[in-house]
Amino acid sequence: MIEKELIEECRNGNLHNFRKVVEKTTPMIFSVAFRMLGDEDAARDIVQDTMVTIWQKLSRIKTADSYKTWTYRIAVNKCYDQLRKQKRQKESRYDDKTWAIISNHLSEEGITELENKENAQIINLLTNKLSPKQKAVFILSELEEIPVGEIAKITGMNRSAVKANLYYARKNIESLLQKYL
Amino acid sequence: MKMTTENDKYKKMMKILRNSKPDLNQPEEIENEVIRKIHFENQKSGRVSDFIESLFGWVYIGWVRRSLIGAAVILVAVFVYQQAFIFKQVKNISKQVVITGNETAPVFSSVLDKRLTLYKISTRLSPGGEINISESQLEELLDSYNNLQVKYKDLIRIIEENPELEKYFENKLNQEKKYKPEI
Repeated sequence: MIEKELIEECRNGNLHNFRKVVEKTTPMIFSVAFRMLGDEDAARDIVQDTMVTIWQKLSRIKTADSYKTWTYRIAVNKCYDQLRKQKRQKESRYDDKTWAIISNHLSEEGITELENKENAQIINLLTNKLSPKQKAVFILSELEEIPVGEIAKITGMNRSAVKANLYYARKNIESLLQKYL
Repeated sequence: MKMTTENDKYKKMMKILRNSKPDLNQPEEIENEVIRKIHFENQKSGRVSDFIESLFGWVYIGWVRRSLIGAAVILVAVFVYQQAFIFKQVKNISKQVVITGNETAPVFSSVLDKRLTLYKISTRLSPGGEINISESQLEELLDSYNNLQVKYKDLIRIIEENPELEKYFENKLNQEKKYKPEI
C-alpha cells in the first residue's frame, strides 16, 4: 500500500520519492500487464510506460486515494493498445501441450504455483476467444480480485456492463474447460 | 452433476492462477529505466513547458489553462496570417505607378528604367480591361512624354537665365489671368 504523503510529495515534483512509488507500484502493474498480454517483456515495457505516464500526469489526480484505480486504468489502457497490435501481428492457436499442463494441474490434489511461462500459456489459452474488454474484466475480477465497482472505474464501463462481460468470460472459459478436459 | 464438475474445474483453475503471481525479475532495472526515461522526457519537454508555464502558470484549473493556450495559438496564427496578407498587399501596391497631378513625371535615365515603368503601367491598366493599347503605342507615348518633359525643363531654364524674357512671360501670364472668367 502506498502512503498518501508519498503521492502528495511526488505531485510536487519530488523525483527521489517517486522512485519509492515506482518500487511499490511496479508489482501490481506487472501482474495485470503480464496476465493480460502473456508476455514478460511486453509487460515490463507496459510497466515502464505506465510509470512514466503516471509521473507526467500525477498532478492531474484529484486525491491520493484514487491513485491505485488511476494507475490500473492507465496500465489497462496501455494493455488494450498492445493487444490490438498483437492481434494484427499474430493469430493465437490452440495448443495440445498447454491443455495437458492444465489437465495435470487440475488432477493434482493440492494447489500448485505456476511458473511465468506456464502461467502465460494457460491464461492465453483460456482467454483466447475473449475481447480485450472481457479479458481485462476477467483478469481484474477473477485473478486480481478487485471489486466490481472499482473495475467499473478502471475500465470506464458501468457496473452492469462489467458484470455482463465477466459472466460471458466465465461461461466461455468454463465451456473450454468442459470441451477440452 | 455435470455443472458441478465444470464449476469445480473452473474454481480450481482460478485458484491456481490466483496463487501463481507473476514473478518480476530484476525490478530495480525497471526502476532505473523509468527514472532515466523521466529525466530524458523532462529535458525534452523542459523548454516548451517552461515557456507555457511562464505564460499560463497563474491558471490552476486544467481545462481553463488548455483553453487559454488554444486561444493564444489561434490568435498568433490569425496575426501571422494577417501580417502575411498585409505584406503581400503592400508588395503589390509598391509595384504600381501612382502619379499625382502635382508630381513631375520621371525622366528615364536608362532603358531598364523605361522598361520597368512600362511593365508597371501595363500591369496597372490590364486588370480593368478598359484601355487596350499595344506595348509599342505605350512606348511611343512615354517617349513623347519624356521629350516633352525635357523640352519643358529646357524652356524653364532659358526663361530663368534671361530676366527680360522672364518679365515678359510673367506679364503675359498676368494678362491671361485677367481675361479668364472666374468659375
